Amino acid sequence: MEEIMARLVLMFNKQVVKEYPLMKDSITIGRNEENTIQINNLAVSGFHARIDAAGSDYILTDLQSTNGTFVNDKRVVSQKLSHGDNVIIGKHVILFIGTGKEAEGKQASVKSDLDKTMMLDTAKQKELLSKQKESTQVADTSTKIGVISFIEGAELGEIELKKKLTKLGKADTSEIRLTGLFMPATAATISRRPSGYVITTMGGKLKVNGEVVKESIALKDFDTIEIGKVKFQFYQRETTEKLS
Amino acid sequence: MQIKSSGITDVGLKREGNEDAFSVEDALGLYIVADGMGGHLAGEIASRIAVEVINKAFHKWSAQGVGEREIFGAPDTSLSLKGNYILGGIRLANRIIYELALEKKDFHGMGTTMAILLVTPSLVIAANVGDSRIYLVRDGEIERLSRDHSVVAEQVELGMMTEEEAESSPLRHVLTRNLGSSEDVVPDIFEIEPNNDDRFILCSDGLTDLMSDDELLNMSEEEPEPGRLCRRLVDEVLDRGAHDNTTVISVSLSDIVNSRGGFFQRLGYMLGDALFSIQKRARKIIR
Repeated sequence: MEEIMARLVLMFNKQVVKEYPLMKDSITIGRNEENTIQINNLAVSGFHARIDAAGSDYILTDLQSTNGTFVNDKRVVSQKLSHGDNVIIGKHVILFIGTGKEAEGKQASVKSDLDKTMMLDTAKQKELLSKQKESTQVADTSTKIGVISFIEGAELGEIELKKKLTKLGKADTSEIRLTGLFMPATAATISRRPSGYVITTMGGKLKVNGEVVKESIALKDFDTIEIGKVKFQFYQRETTEKLS
Repeated sequence: MQIKSSGITDVGLKREGNEDAFSVEDALGLYIVADGMGGHLAGEIASRIAVEVINKAFHKWSAQGVGEREIFGAPDTSLSLKGNYILGGIRLANRIIYELALEKKDFHGMGTTMAILLVTPSLVIAANVGDSRIYLVRDGEIERLSRDHSVVAEQVELGMMTEEEAESSPLRHVLTRNLGSSEDVVPDIFEIEPNNDDRFILCSDGLTDLMSDDELLNMSEEEPEPGRLCRRLVDEVLDRGAHDNTTVISVSLSDIVNSRGGFFQRLGYMLGDALFSIQKRARKIIR
């Protein structure tokens, strides 16, 4: 059986505007002229949606567009495209024509393929994701850095927590050196974790918002922290520096 | 510091080959799980290369005390030196797999995930690429020290999807990062201080597809011995149908000196506090 290349057919008012064979691993749809499929209509976002090849499948992802992306009248965030699907963006319809294999209706085998782990094979993806983030200004995904601001007991002003693990204490190896008669070598540590910043006592008397912490606690913006006689506040701010 | 560890891999009930690879190196404190992908044995090769390369690179660099700038690629200043060794090892393994995949047609499209845990008496480093995970069980709570690099995980982070939707999504196995698919890879690396009785679980998605974080926590609380815990987790996955290869490593720590202060240190703080308040009062009186 001959393998037919998957393709997209852009339509407006039931008229075919243009056909696009899916030659690349990743294509984008939007108003911006950098898109593979450019639709010059105000209902369409700059970078509206993306279609990526994943194995023998194609996956449609809405790039957090203002007016949404629909497949057969259902709003979707991300969906595998099936032969004959209508992707609706604004007033335009994009018809998805699957590959030979899928057009034959062998949906079952395609489905079991998805059970396997696979890689979204696209080099442009990251670039696009970063563009998407810039254009949508999602606050919680932009890079934030933790800052501690000293209130009492140490004249250190504000310090950005640039390390994954910051040690606070008397030792020379501490990222933030605190002094005091009974300050331990390492009094506490602040680590940046998948869930956010966490402070852990390592032998210093640690209080967060007045409560004694015996082990560790997740830090929230504007928590007040006391280690012995040193008092400071934690918060997060946007950073222009790239955190890995 | 005392380390007890164990690791098991099982092909499962539906797959013919095992594309997972792992290593347990107590002498280095280095633990690795890799879940390979790609046809014609390529997945098995990718995961084994990744484990080998990282073990060897880490061993060599730490034995020679290599500086940050002599490792593969630009150092990450937010990490410790050991953290940079791990980062360099991942970059190196990625480049090797990537080049091999380009070279040989049979290897085209091969790749692997990676979950790495390094344990030292003063520092624990967790690094991952893809959807193999690292968990920390501490004080009756379970915490992920890894971030899944998958389409659904990214959408959960962006608030476009709930955890529940992600678990049932047909896209849950589509990764956004792995080793082998592009020239450069960016892992997530976290560093924390170890605590006494910390326990870690590294695993491939064969486990986490069929078991929730809470179930993992319960089982690890019930079974403190690493070898028996791994066996129980894998047996449970087999009971539930084991549609994928499953790999589990369990590591538990004890006897960490220099962590929280003992009795005398605490006594010291109390005296210190008392002295300080006496001083304060004395100053007020003098004024």
